Amino acid sequence: MKNNFVKRITSGLLVTGLLAASLTACGSSASTSEVAEEKEGKVEAAADADAGFRTVDEIKESGTINIGVFSDKSPFGYVDENGEYAGYDVYFAERIGKDLGVDINYVSTEAANRIEYLQTGKVDIILANFTVTEERAQEVDFALPYMNVALGVVSPSDAVIESLDDIGADDQVIVISGTTAETYLTKNYPDIKLQKYDAYAEAKTAFENGNGVAWANDNTEVIAFAIENEGYEVGIPSLGDQDTIAPAVTKGNESLLNWLNDEIESLGSENFFHADYEETLLDTYGADYEDTLVVEGGK
Amino acid sequence: MASLGIDVLFKGTNFLRLLQGLWVSIEISLISVILSIVLGLVIGMLMTIHNPLLKAVLKVYLETVRIMPQMVLLFIVYFGTTRVFGWDMSAESSAIFVFTFWGTAEMGDLVRGSIKSIPNIQFESAFALGMDKVQTYIYIILPQTVRRLIPLSINLITRMIKTTSLVMMIGIVEVLKVAQQIIEANRKVSPNAAFGVFAVVFLLYFIVCWPISRLAVYLEKRWA
Amino acid sequence: MNTDILIEYLPLYKDALFLTLRIGWQGIFLAFVIGLIGSAILHFKIPVLKSIVGVHIELFRNTPLLVQLFFIYFALPKVGIQVTAETCGKLGLGLLGGAYMIETFRSGLEAIPTIQTESALSLGMNDFQTLWHVILPQAVSISVPGLLANVIFLLKETSVFSTISLMDLMFTAKDLIGMYAKTIECLFLLVVFYLIMLLPISIIGAIVERRMRYGQFGD
Repeated sequence: MKNNFVKRITSGLLVTGLLAASLTACGSSASTSEVAEEKEGKVEAAADADAGFRTVDEIKESGTINIGVFSDKSPFGYVDENGEYAGYDVYFAERIGKDLGVDINYVSTEAANRIEYLQTGKVDIILANFTVTEERAQEVDFALPYMNVALGVVSPSDAVIESLDDIGADDQVIVISGTTAETYLTKNYPDIKLQKYDAYAEAKTAFENGNGVAWANDNTEVIAFAIENEGYEVGIPSLGDQDTIAPAVTKGNESLLNWLNDEIESLGSENFFHADYEETLLDTYGADYEDTLVVEGGK
Repeated sequence: MASLGIDVLFKGTNFLRLLQGLWVSIEISLISVILSIVLGLVIGMLMTIHNPLLKAVLKVYLETVRIMPQMVLLFIVYFGTTRVFGWDMSAESSAIFVFTFWGTAEMGDLVRGSIKSIPNIQFESAFALGMDKVQTYIYIILPQTVRRLIPLSINLITRMIKTTSLVMMIGIVEVLKVAQQIIEANRKVSPNAAFGVFAVVFLLYFIVCWPISRLAVYLEKRWA
Repeated sequence: MNTDILIEYLPLYKDALFLTLRIGWQGIFLAFVIGLIGSAILHFKIPVLKSIVGVHIELFRNTPLLVQLFFIYFALPKVGIQVTAETCGKLGLGLLGGAYMIETFRSGLEAIPTIQTESALSLGMNDFQTLWHVILPQAVSISVPGLLANVIFLLKETSVFSTISLMDLMFTAKDLIGMYAKTIECLFLLVVFYLIMLLPISIIGAIVERRMRYGQFGD
């Protein structure tokens, strides 16, 4: 009996030890390689296939680009009833695929996974309504913006929340894990209790079911929700800083970043994003929001 | 029952997509189970060898699998390995890797148990007949072990299928994610879709797992 | 790995551990109660109730906890049954665990020779007394290793609570990764905390199993 006891403790300790060792090893090796990359300079980094990202040439050669989009965030990125990806972000993604002359492999992402997907090279571009923030810019590289955004808060019409001070001590506000709304509220209103979900579909269903007094998210999203669903009102239409939404690539992937920036600038001349808006967002927002939301040509 | 939101499943290719999502789960479990059985036989036999170092290593392995939730393993493999070793594993291969890692340990332990349960006299008789160790294993021990193992491995299949519901968390579009997509795309026209769609997913899992677990019970009784 | 980050995140993980334990134990207690009642119903072959228990076992053993939670949390409110995330977690764990506990206790009950029941009855005890004083104490102690295995299994299953907005260990890790992308530190703490929670139970399980074996063979 004692023997067994000792064995289990030892094995448990070993597991911890091994994991700790491997994780530390990887931590340090990752940072060494980062340093090495910087030293080698950009030419080397671009040629290095192990750097965790693919250059424009490598993507073209493989014939497929991996683009991370939402699959449950209508009307920006969702899957329609025929199983096709659609929405404002997807419309742009389709154009990228066309102009690169490659097929698109859509990767369904959750908000909290977006940085991770890029850093581990599992996607080439994130086009999942990704708000540009300082913290994120340290982890990934953002291209030029294609949309404006701020935060907004939607609540049921019979108990509209017009100021964050209205939120009681026991009330919970729904947010989606890994979004700017979460970071903003955590930082600026640490006393507000947050109820966090992984997926848009989960958060919205929980909000409909009355599990929270309000839902805080990108204002585009909450406005769309209030328009599409009866009985809800956006009590706080704009909160925090005015931000922009942009495609993101793995840090250091200059070739793809430059390509994207050129693409966004040249699409400006044909008013591409206005066409995108009219195709995908007009039904939801009407024409009023077109100029507020759309960023054309990266400005 | 339009109000319960089951109707959305008959729009477009929705129901077909749900079934395709289910197939993704089943496919991952089947591949993992087959790999687990093969590797589990090897690990199980290794577990019966009296070598302190080997025993310790296998013990650590088994305990890790027993203590760590599969979801944690999935996250470590899917996100951790790329960071640490630079492997670019797709979500599907990460899932198969984790399920095989887990299944092999479980199978190994079952194999060890069934080998141990075979009376020593059989080994002795085989040796007395002039068979060597390998022959004894192949002709005497394994056939009996396999028979005892089949019901248990079938049980493992249902456990795998159930656990595949977690792969949604690493971005694999399986039945639950498809369900969410359908609910989201139809939120406006069918606000109660969450009920119908999740109820159907619940039933689908049951329809797949129940016959398999009945089969395991039947075989266990018959071959016991 | 950055130790400052580990120290900064430590309190968050500690809170998550307590939440996991609180909901986990309450759910497991519910599972224990369902297990006792259910196995007694099966043991005494009580009509109607017997079938209900049978359906419960098959339904919950053949579906994933994640799907059960989604159904309880997201689908039931659409037909007017509203539960909070915590209640949903406890209920899901209790119903799933109950299905497993019933089987564990039942095999414990079946291990008691019939002669004991007969003897107890012939001593003038009634059905309930026989169960309470003679059968259950033995059956429960025989079931202890299986029970502890179930406890570990159920505590591991709590990792899916993150999907219904409960801030458990898994969720804390995912959430921090999503916000600050310190993946390695977050995953490391996740592993450490699951070990803190489950290793002691696993050790107790090993000791108990040994004990039981000695008991059985009269060593």
